Amino acid sequence: MHLESTNRTPEVSISDSALELKGECYPEDITAFSEPILELLAEKLEVCESYSVGLELRYFNSSSAKFFFDFFEVLEDAAADGKSISIEWRYRSTDNSMKEAGEDFEEDMEEANYQLVEI
Amino acid sequence: MDSHDFHKLLLSRGTFFCYSGLLSEEVLSAISGIVREQVTDIDNNEDLTTRVFGIFVEQAQNIIRYSEERLAQGGIGTVAIGHSNDGFIVEAINPMNAENVERLKKNLKDLQQMDSKDLRKAYKQRLREGPPEGSKGAGLGFIEIARKSSKFEFDFVENPDRLFVLKAWIVP
Repeated sequence: MHLESTNRTPEVSISDSALELKGECYPEDITAFSEPILELLAEKLEVCESYSVGLELRYFNSSSAKFFFDFFEVLEDAAADGKSISIEWRYRSTDNSMKEAGEDFEEDMEEANYQLVEI
Repeated sequence: MDSHDFHKLLLSRGTFFCYSGLLSEEVLSAISGIVREQVTDIDNNEDLTTRVFGIFVEQAQNIIRYSEERLAQGGIGTVAIGHSNDGFIVEAINPMNAENVERLKKNLKDLQQMDSKDLRKAYKQRLREGPPEGSKGAGLGFIEIARKSSKFEFDFVENPDRLFVLKAWIVP
C-alpha cells in the first residue's frame, strides 16, 4: 500500500516488513484515513516475525493523536506477543513539538524497540 | 461601521487573517495552506509557527464541531490570527449552547491552573481513557491549545446570543 501525501495527510508506505509515514497529519476525516492503515498493519503484523516502523512527522492535530496512540498500541501488543518490533520516531533538531510528541508516545512502549532519532 | 473602518480596525489590531462564516473541513482544507504560508512569512521560527498553526487548526475544528449555529457541513464562527511585537494571537468566536457553559468554564479554568507537566499528564490520561461523552474528536483540543500556547483566556458573552470567545497567545 502506498498513499501519496496531501496537504492534510502524510505519505504512507506499508510493505510486508516495514511501514513508513512522513509529513503532516490532520485529515478531514481521521477515521477514513486511519482505519485502512490500522487494518493493514494488523494483517502484516499477524504473519511477520519482525517489523520496522519509521515515522517522520512535521505536524499532527489532536484528533490524529488518538490514531497514533492506537497505532503504537497495536505495535506494542505485537511486541508483547514475541514479535521483534522496531520503531523510529524521527524529528528535526529544531522541532521541539515533534520531539516532545515522540517522548509522549515513548513512555508507553515497553516491549517494542522505540528510538527517538534526531535528523 | 464603514467598510474602510473595518479594514482599519483589523490592521490596527494586527489581525492579518480573519475568516468569518461557515467553517467546514472543506473550508479548512482550502485555507490552511494559505494560513501556514502567511504565518511562516511573518516569522521564520518554525517551532513557533507550527504552534500557531496547530492552535489555529484546533480552534477552527472546535467551531466546525461545536458551534451552536450549524449548517450541514459545519458550524458558523470566526477565527482570526494576529501578530504584534509580543508574538501571535489566535482568536475564535462562536455561538454556544447555554447549557454547556458551566462545564466548559470549569474545564478551561482547570487547564489554566496547570503547568506544562500537569498538561502533559492530562493529555496522556485523556489519550488512554478515550474521548469524553459528547466529544466529536479525541477530546484533546483544549489541552492541546493549553500546551502549545503561552497563555489563553476565554469569555462567554451574551450579545444577545451566547458567544464563546477563546484567545490563545503564542510568544517565542
